[in-house]
Amino acid sequence: MNNNQTPTQREVILKVDHLEQFFKMGPRSLKAVNDVNFEIYKGEVFGLVGESGCGKTTTGRSIIRLYNITGGSVYFKGTRIGAGVRRYKERINVLKQQLNNEILEAKAQNADADLDEIKAKYAELIQEQKREIKSAKFDQKHCDREYSKAQVAKVDDLYIPRLEELPDGSEEKAVLVAEYKEARRLAKKDTITSKIQMIFQDPIASLNPRMTVREIIAEGLIIRGIKDKKIIDKEVYRVLEMVGLVPEHAGRYPHEFSGGQRQRIGIARAIVLNPEFIIADEPISALDVSIQAQVINLLNEIRERLGLTILFIAHDLSVVKYFSDRIAVMYYGKIVELSTSDQIFAHPLHPYTKSLFSAIPLPDPRSEKKRKRITYNPLVAHDYTVEGPTMREVAPGHFVYCNETEYQQYLEELKK
Amino acid sequence: MEKKLEVNNLKISFRTPAGKVQAVRNISFDLYKGETLAIVGESGSGKSVTNKAIIGISSGNAIVESGEIIYDGQDLLKITEEDFHKIRGDKIAMIFQDPMSSLNPIMRVGKQLTEAMILKNKASKKNARRDFNAKLKLLNENMNAIAADENAIKDNNDKCSTFDKFCINSTKLEEVYNNILATAQELLEYLEHILFLNSKQQIINSDKVYSKIYSDLNVIIHPSFIKEDNRLNEVYSLIEAAKQFASKNAAELQDVEVHCIQTVVDLIKEALQKEQVNYFTLGYYTMYEGEEGVFDIPSEELNVKTRKYLDDNFMLDFIERGSYALQHSHNVSIEKKQAIIPLLNEALEIFKNANFTKQTVKDILNPIYKQVVDAIDGLEVIKNSVEYTFVSSMTNVLNKYFFGIKNNPKEMARYEKQNNKREKLIASGKQVDWKVVPPSIIDLQLIANDICIVIEKLRNNYIEQINNSINFDKNAKMVALIDFFKEKASQVVYTVTRRVAKLKALKLLEEVGIPEPAIRYRQYPFEFSGGMRQRIVIAIALAANPDILICDEPTTALDVTIQSQILELINKLKAERNLSVIFITHDLGVVANMADRIAVMYAGKIVEYGTADDVFYDPRHPYTWALLSSMPDLDTAEKLEAIPGTPPNMIFPPKGDAFAARNRYALQIDFEEEPPLFEVTPGHLAATWLLHPSAPKVEAPRIVTERIAKMKKRMEEEENE
Repeated sequence: MNNNQTPTQREVILKVDHLEQFFKMGPRSLKAVNDVNFEIYKGEVFGLVGESGCGKTTTGRSIIRLYNITGGSVYFKGTRIGAGVRRYKERINVLKQQLNNEILEAKAQNADADLDEIKAKYAELIQEQKREIKSAKFDQKHCDREYSKAQVAKVDDLYIPRLEELPDGSEEKAVLVAEYKEARRLAKKDTITSKIQMIFQDPIASLNPRMTVREIIAEGLIIRGIKDKKIIDKEVYRVLEMVGLVPEHAGRYPHEFSGGQRQRIGIARAIVLNPEFIIADEPISALDVSIQAQVINLLNEIRERLGLTILFIAHDLSVVKYFSDRIAVMYYGKIVELSTSDQIFAHPLHPYTKSLFSAIPLPDPRSEKKRKRITYNPLVAHDYTVEGPTMREVAPGHFVYCNETEYQQYLEELKK
Repeated sequence: MEKKLEVNNLKISFRTPAGKVQAVRNISFDLYKGETLAIVGESGSGKSVTNKAIIGISSGNAIVESGEIIYDGQDLLKITEEDFHKIRGDKIAMIFQDPMSSLNPIMRVGKQLTEAMILKNKASKKNARRDFNAKLKLLNENMNAIAADENAIKDNNDKCSTFDKFCINSTKLEEVYNNILATAQELLEYLEHILFLNSKQQIINSDKVYSKIYSDLNVIIHPSFIKEDNRLNEVYSLIEAAKQFASKNAAELQDVEVHCIQTVVDLIKEALQKEQVNYFTLGYYTMYEGEEGVFDIPSEELNVKTRKYLDDNFMLDFIERGSYALQHSHNVSIEKKQAIIPLLNEALEIFKNANFTKQTVKDILNPIYKQVVDAIDGLEVIKNSVEYTFVSSMTNVLNKYFFGIKNNPKEMARYEKQNNKREKLIASGKQVDWKVVPPSIIDLQLIANDICIVIEKLRNNYIEQINNSINFDKNAKMVALIDFFKEKASQVVYTVTRRVAKLKALKLLEEVGIPEPAIRYRQYPFEFSGGMRQRIVIAIALAANPDILICDEPTTALDVTIQSQILELINKLKAERNLSVIFITHDLGVVANMADRIAVMYAGKIVEYGTADDVFYDPRHPYTWALLSSMPDLDTAEKLEAIPGTPPNMIFPPKGDAFAARNRYALQIDFEEEPPLFEVTPGHLAATWLLHPSAPKVEAPRIVTERIAKMKKRMEEEENE
């Protein structure tokens, strides 16, 4: 991990930019994720906490494109892999409204004013937004195709000069041509989104009961175009050993395993495609305490070995604190506080964070009996009638969702 | 403290195609009134199986191999399903893990809440009357036994029949009042709704409103609630006047009508604020002084007056007589018990020598049985479980013993026959790929021991009772007895109608912290959030006013904030209602703030048992250490100490300590012999050989010791402040 580097120097692996995910509910829409921004650096564990229904899982699922996002964009290693168009459409509506207003104003001032200039100005602006929409739609649809095109080009660059050097009809050339064809075929099937993998919450529901462990793990490999059974078996055994199972387990069905072992299979399935980024959606909530520790240790081990970056979604705060480098606290579709895990637990600033932390049960009966839970009521805790809240940095790397008065208050709180 | 529930040597197995799974292996614990017992362990450790056995919902393939669960003087493992109906839900209630799947998705919450109340009422009336009569008759007999002459006996009989009459009379009065209250609440709610609709300019059928007001007012207008006075007459005249205005078609309400509804609302609200009349005392007063004008007196004054009247004319005398009768009954029973003790000793000698046949047992035990049943003090409200269950547990072990005598030789013969066959085959040089099933021989010596234990238990209990008999508080017992009569009388009289049940349900919903209960009452479970749903489940469990509440992982499906809210709620209700709670969980952190005592279970056995302080500050069993060290807290930075491996297969439970295979501190003996429960301090038990005097000294893992040190330091700091 690159803890000693400052955040700006570290490579950003995932960037979530104004992410919005709305669900239609009759005439209204449910704003499950509403304007969420964060960056995840390479090699770190990013914890996402909040109560159930606050949009943690939706965020994870939007990143991995299980949903088509409503607005904003998701960048993975600099490539836009998901984009929504709501923001641009809204902007166009606003522009049209403004145009109408200006035309009316101009007409009121001067009956035969030059309207063409205004119209042209706005047409330009609207056109710009339309271009954005087009590009967003293109990225959303074709990011994988573009990526595989690039991969194919890379393969071509690598092999074609070497092929040209060799004389026609030689045996060496035939071998190289076969190799080149295989590499090209695989590169064609390579996708950028498969570099992101997910571990699901419920190890029972997320494994197909009618497939053996080998089939479950190998499915991704087969989709990626690997046909050789020997290679597939080798890969499957490799990841099985990595997660602490034995190759003999490959022939069994999920129901033959205990809860902890099932979750190991889920992890094996996620790491078999050599991903760089893993979304772990409450991987330990459904497990017993004694098994939880095993799975956390396993995740830690694998992360160090493969240099993975993990988005860790959970509601068990002590586990998140233990496992994550940075933590974001979510409340009703918004991130209300974001900082390194030590900082956020030492100095929670947002009232919701405080209330969340005050609810953590500890194995200490006497202090437990004295513990007072802080209740959070957004209507009482904040006064946003004068000024709306935005994300502000109160200390280096410590962001809180607040307005100016609260910001000053938090700064003073931190000084103490 | 009063013991509410006793679990002794419980052993439960499950029949499965693969073999017999030994889910619970010989566990014992007690539950006291008003305390929380937490049972902690991972899944498959048998914690849920134990509790399902307590509430009598074990699955069909369960076999209870031995043991007893004693509640209220009866063994729950032996009573019939019909008898269980009176206990399950009524006396022992359960909160399940997943609130969504334990609520019916197509029934409104209100209906689910009231369902049990209405059903319970139908069943219990007859039984309640029977219990009431039996106790009163017994009391009367005891009073007569110490009576001086004929006149006194006659007087006693009179008193008892009076008591019976006025108990029923006062509960009847109370029922009428409760009915009025429910109607009034309903009307109030309805009218407020109408006013609300009107303020929103919604269309209202005023004819309907009037007929509702009329019909409900007929019920409500009763001297005890709303008296007929000027204002009420005004209401009537207003309604008459309004009727002239009211068009037959639905429309907005007129001012007059609004005023009229408002008056009724005010009247009801005012009446609801009055102090409630004490109907128990009033019942007697009205029997002799008549009901005329009783409610003209303000209720505070009335309560004092009726109380005095009752005390002077009847109650003090009755209590005095009753308490003497109780003393008498107690003395008699103690005397009888004293007479039984030598008999028990005699029987003990015979059973210890273990030479007895069916006939000798019959000769010895039958008179003892009779005397034991005879010696029970029937006027005790709290039943002594040992006395009550002696006969049944005795017959149980004896049956087992004689079955063993009959069956063992047969079984041995079968075994030898098969074994010989196998040896013959081997001798003739054939491949033998089957094994002989070992004989299932019942260890007679062990059962003989059990017989002695049952007798000794009764004897010790008797001796204790005899020693304590000096402290017999006859007045307190009498008060408890009168409370018992009151409760039974209310069960006899009350008819829980839908209205009354709704009133009760609304109160319950408010109690468990659900805002706007009247609206919530009509909603479906899917309209609630997870925490609210769990509150509904808790309300349903409390609907029948149980003694014992079993919470089976009530917060596992909920997240942190909701979890702590639910825990606080359970704690609050426990304190208010003096409930005994059994709390099952796999998370030690959850139980820290609510458990009085904790039992840590592993592989069907209790491995550590003690108060919360004992278990958290001085854990002794390696499994408890492992549980504590495997969960990170806010200060943990180093690698977690996961428990390696998985729990053992309980079809073939390991020979020694079940945890040995996963235990870093396992000794050689752990693999060979099961450790007994060693006592660390009085009340703190742990089953590990590490506590044996000759075991090597082993420190708890660093992560645990450090955490405990930190907690103690924090505690000291707080004390210094």
